[in-house]
Amino acid sequence: MTAPAPTPTGPGTPTATPSPTPSGTGQVPALQAGLAAEHAVIWGYGVVGAHAGDALLPQVRDADDAHRTLRDDTVALVARYGGTPVATEPEYALPFPVTDRGSALRLAVHLEEGAAAAWRYAVAATDDVAVRRAALVALSDAAVRATRWRLALHTSPATVPFPGD
Amino acid sequence: MVAVARRSVLIGGAVGAGLLAAGCTAGGPSSPAPTTPAPPDPLLAELADERRLVAGYDATIARHPALRARLTAVRDDHAAHAAALVTALGPAAPPSSTTPAATDSPGVSPTGSPTGSPTGSPTASPTGSLTGSPTGSPTGSPAGSPAESPSTGIESSGGRTRVPVTPAAAVAALRAAERAAASARGTAALTATPDRARLLAGISASEASHVAVLA
Repeated sequence: MTAPAPTPTGPGTPTATPSPTPSGTGQVPALQAGLAAEHAVIWGYGVVGAHAGDALLPQVRDADDAHRTLRDDTVALVARYGGTPVATEPEYALPFPVTDRGSALRLAVHLEEGAAAAWRYAVAATDDVAVRRAALVALSDAAVRATRWRLALHTSPATVPFPGD
Repeated sequence: MVAVARRSVLIGGAVGAGLLAAGCTAGGPSSPAPTTPAPPDPLLAELADERRLVAGYDATIARHPALRARLTAVRDDHAAHAAALVTALGPAAPPSSTTPAATDSPGVSPTGSPTGSPTGSPTASPTGSLTGSPTGSPTGSPAGSPAESPSTGIESSGGRTRVPVTPAAAVAALRAAERAAASARGTAALTATPDRARLLAGISASEASHVAVLA
């Protein structure tokens, strides 16, 4: 979370400078896809935090904070492009039971892979450069976090050639 | 997406793919005129850089065999990137022989001569991939790499890939190379056609994650 530190500066930057006269297409659907994923990921990190154990809590909090910032930025961006931001669901289904540190970490990987998939979709769903840049940052950040969680799990390999596939 | 949310926390591949199919029609106009024969396909520079990265990892592993376990998977990611770029380029893709970058002899290269191993690509200059970049570093690549030179820290001189003497320095050079590569692929993704943007964005994100492994 520290090195890439994209969250404060990354997604925030495009939010601060949206193209005032949108020259591209597909911005809102692209952003909504990312936003829907962020809602799910934030919900999921609540589960991760409940089972990850004290030692991992700081990292879980960092990830959770990053996603909340990204969610807020994305909500603002959707509105700026004239859309109505999709709302979070009251509850999401877990892909597998989460009962301990290991399954919590696997869920964290799963969440970041899901975020990566949504944001990678978003990159291709619009030709607006500002939105693409925001989606790219979100995709890269998710890929980096997924890798860090895999490293914590001692999963090998810890990287994939195409995050979001 | 909302409807799907109840079924799974993950907005995973299947949904993404479906949306992709639905969304693809929107993107057309930014196509960099792939049919125009005059300018070289911009993906060529990306391909050359990926092959250079593979060569850099091969040379590093040859020089520092103790790093093999740590570097092989990352090296293989780059080989996958190169293969995907070749597919995307279609007939325009140069044969890998153009860049003797050891894609055919994975990892186990000429152990005897550290610097004589898989060599850098003689083709595009390292800076080629960044021409026309609208901004500095668009991606979330850690430490917002210097956009003016994606030349990666893998030095190619006279067709040889130079590897730093110590393992730590060699890994640091690869880390710098990954940052530059993530930035370059990300820049290219901003204005590419939708399919290519998806590919380049995925590669860029993969390279950003490599930095975490090399930390």
